[in-house]
Amino acid sequence: MATNVQFALSDSSGCEGVTVVTISGELTSASIDEITAFFSSIVEDHPPYIIAEMSNVSSFSSSALGSFMGSRQRFVEREGDLVFAGLTLDLKSKLSLLGAHKIFQVFPDVRSALVAYTYEKKGHSQMVTLSFPSQLRYVPSIRQMISRIALQKGYSSRDAFRIETIVDEVCNNAVEHGAQSSEHNIDLSVGIDSKKIEIKVINLSNPEKIEALKELASTVSSEAVSDMANKRGRGLALIKMLSNDLTIDISNGGTSVHVVRRKGD
Amino acid sequence: MESQIELEIEEIKGYSTARLVKFVGDLDATNVEFVLEKVVNLQNEGFVNIVADFKKLRYVNSTGLGVLLHFNKAAKEKSGSFKIANVNENVYEIIEIIGATSLLEIYDDLTEAIDSLAV
Repeated sequence: MATNVQFALSDSSGCEGVTVVTISGELTSASIDEITAFFSSIVEDHPPYIIAEMSNVSSFSSSALGSFMGSRQRFVEREGDLVFAGLTLDLKSKLSLLGAHKIFQVFPDVRSALVAYTYEKKGHSQMVTLSFPSQLRYVPSIRQMISRIALQKGYSSRDAFRIETIVDEVCNNAVEHGAQSSEHNIDLSVGIDSKKIEIKVINLSNPEKIEALKELASTVSSEAVSDMANKRGRGLALIKMLSNDLTIDISNGGTSVHVVRRKGD
Repeated sequence: MESQIELEIEEIKGYSTARLVKFVGDLDATNVEFVLEKVVNLQNEGFVNIVADFKKLRYVNSTGLGVLLHFNKAAKEKSGSFKIANVNENVYEIIEIIGATSLLEIYDDLTEAIDSLAV
């Protein structure tokens, strides 16, 4: 039986590996065969990451959803996925009630789905850079912002807390040991992808504190961190323990601290 | 903007030299001076036994941890104690990494911490 559901292949904005399908009409039990037939027709010769644009879908039955699940499995087997974009609030709510949100990723629009694809599947890093005056009072909001970004990017709350701590300690060290100059800010850059976060802080060195900082850095790299409780350098010790890689470059011109933390470690 | 922290100070029934201090918020480099002043004042006023409730302490960094170690040391010097209860797992991890779990008296809950004052 013919239904009013329609499928159309759309432009994937040049994103390699992605197929965008615009679907409109009513997805009911009567459209199961059409859904299966359409996805069967593209599974062999189209990129296997399918973004189903659904803003013109007016209804979505549980049986039609079952047909999407079956089709999705075929794309997953080809290292792809089938995700939804543009669902109305009603349909999104219905999918949640059916538990489908645990299976299908749902995005507000195609662009968001494409961004998620390039971030998660292609491993592209997203970068945040900012520059702030060398004063402690700026640090809390910065560390909390980076922590929230990590959460939004799929990092666990525990990971986000550790990232918050690393950013806090690196920035505090830059303020404490760097030059207090109104002309030279502290530069923070954070690169985040689905597997790791890289944090880099660069500040102008304070000539009077360079030797003390070098000593701290060498203490942290040579001693067991658990011995740091009663000593200076607890901040660097924390960074060392919470990160997978820590590089400190101290010179007369400036100090650069580079930290890598892998997701979930 | 500086981090927000509040200290709620309460009496502990039956212990005239003790005070319960509830930490609410984040303890970091921007507010350690405030916390230091409040707790040291309590210790100097004769409340040498401090029970710190961390139930609502979301965050602590190395500077905050340094202040906690200072309270512990000051309490010992006055023949008192500095006890901590209800530490969330993130904060506990920070204390543990630095190796301070063996230096600080940490209890699972408030009742346990207060009961230990009698020992």
